[in-house]
Amino acid sequence: MNALLPWKRILRRRAVWFSLLVMAVLGSVAVLAPWISPHDPYRQEIAQHGLPPSWVHETGRPGVAEYPLGTDRFGRDILSRLIYGTRTAFFLALAGVSLAALIGTVVGLITGYAGGRLDASAVLFMDMIQSLPGIMFAVIIVLILRTRLTPSWLHGMVTLVVGFAAVSWVSLARLIRINLLQIKSQLFVEAAISIGAAPRRIMLRHLLPNVSHVVLVWIINAIPAIILLEAVLGYIGVGVTGAVDGGEFTVVSWGGMFFSGRSALSSNPLMLITPSLCLLLMSMSFILLADALEGAYRQQ
Amino acid sequence: MLPFLLTRLLRVVTVLVGVALIMFLLMHAIPGNPWSSDYSSSPRAMIGLSMDKSTQRELDRRFGLDLPLWRQFTRYAIGDFAEDGSFFCGAVCGNLGPSIQQRGRSVSEILFEPPEGKTFLQSRFGYSIRLILFASLIAVGLGIPLGLLSGMQPYSMSSRITSVGLAALISIPNFVLGLLAIIVLASWLSIIKVLPDWDSAGDWIVPALVLAVLPMATIARVTRASVINVLNADYVRTARAKGLAESRVVLDHVLRNALLPIITFTGPTLVEMFAALLIIESIYSFPGFGREYWSAVLNLDYPMIMGLTLIYATAVVVVNVVIEVVSEILDPRIRMARRQGLP
Repeated sequence: MNALLPWKRILRRRAVWFSLLVMAVLGSVAVLAPWISPHDPYRQEIAQHGLPPSWVHETGRPGVAEYPLGTDRFGRDILSRLIYGTRTAFFLALAGVSLAALIGTVVGLITGYAGGRLDASAVLFMDMIQSLPGIMFAVIIVLILRTRLTPSWLHGMVTLVVGFAAVSWVSLARLIRINLLQIKSQLFVEAAISIGAAPRRIMLRHLLPNVSHVVLVWIINAIPAIILLEAVLGYIGVGVTGAVDGGEFTVVSWGGMFFSGRSALSSNPLMLITPSLCLLLMSMSFILLADALEGAYRQQ
Repeated sequence: MLPFLLTRLLRVVTVLVGVALIMFLLMHAIPGNPWSSDYSSSPRAMIGLSMDKSTQRELDRRFGLDLPLWRQFTRYAIGDFAEDGSFFCGAVCGNLGPSIQQRGRSVSEILFEPPEGKTFLQSRFGYSIRLILFASLIAVGLGIPLGLLSGMQPYSMSSRITSVGLAALISIPNFVLGLLAIIVLASWLSIIKVLPDWDSAGDWIVPALVLAVLPMATIARVTRASVINVLNADYVRTARAKGLAESRVVLDHVLRNALLPIITFTGPTLVEMFAALLIIESIYSFPGFGREYWSAVLNLDYPMIMGLTLIYATAVVVVNVVIEVVSEILDPRIRMARRQGLP
């Protein structure tokens, strides 16, 4: 099945245009972050701390136009942090989802094709992983890795990427395995075996192209999942970097905004609302696109 | 049916043992111990400040943390000999061990025993179970009728609007929904309390709805697709042709045959709800076991982590088995296929 074929069909749907538009906007914000953000997201202007958004004038300290969405308790510009957070989110999505997709595809192909005892024990293992609460599993992996890596802005991201991949490859491996059960018995596989093709060649040349659409839909669905994971962990207080409870996030991310926004709910709710809305738009665009693609593949 | 149930049981036990082992190894791989002060503002730090090495050793010994890892696992899972030589039974007997964080109370006490003078429903477990049941009731009670109604007339305007609305609902993360609900309903409009005491049913509506939205939309969509599929079947045309009342056609022919995919989809949806519960409970400061879980993981309360993981895994596994058995009962084809040894 050609994975690219249904694009023409789904482009007729309005939801898909909405998705692509949102993705394009968020993507260009992520790429252009250094040029469009009004301030350095890390710079602290203590004199300007805790400013309300620029349109609020009733309170004792009116907002100023220089900081459109106000500042946090360290005097850092919220808008700039939001813009740079988009960058972090896209990096996380790229790295985390590729890693998870790689593991899931390899395991799914091998177990689905090999069958037998290997398959049975792999399924048992996947059952175990899926009976664990995924978010706790990810948190524990983050906690294990966090102090082992040298502290740098990268290490927090790496722990989260590994934590996400450790949990989420299972669902893709399962999907691929189920799909292979039907594909495996088809004539072209038998033909490939009978002319003596190596198992690796059969898996990569004959089986993988037939499940590529499954992988694609899974990837699009998984992108919001990792960004959401980071946000939830930020809200709960297990940071991408930094300490638990009261530690400060050193990487600018949406999760970090949730973390600091939680204590500023009454003074400046925008610190929670703006990243929430970004998450909402991002999640909607990816899931609606995945949904449309899946529908188109099913029709084919 | 009996051999089927026996193999299922064996599998369930294997999965639970595996889950316990994985979680045990992972949580012991987290650096630090329950009395160390790695994290600046946790309760552990306050203990850590005044705790000398000998006290720490004594505590280690009391909770069995000085034993080698494999002995700690067997001690937790099967049991061990106490100081006076008597044997105490571990998790296999339902003894989940003492909590480290809440000194003097056992894990089962914390999770299952209600506060003084309250009923079982007011225990940690009771709260969580009630929230899950409430949300499932909303999800199934709204999802199936909605899907049925919009599936019966798939080309009507209202059905199309429902379809778009359901797609939108599916794509909203419940974390964001829960958060926005707090900001708008509690902080701005003051319709709900920010910190309710969870005694009146009104307090439950918002968290239950937030928890129910995703499963409700999923169930409604599956129902809709399944009903549309069944409506095209020959036996429905036959039923109509022989002049059956429309209500009989819908209930006896359409719904019954559409039910199987609905039920197979409800299982994973419910399991996802357990995972969402951990997040929703934390957002709303809900007194269920989700909050215990977070603080246990962050403070390395080993027996508590193990106990909660086992309870969670048991719930997931039981839901999966129930779904499997129910779909066997509903669809004779699955039963026959299994009897003939087909996959």
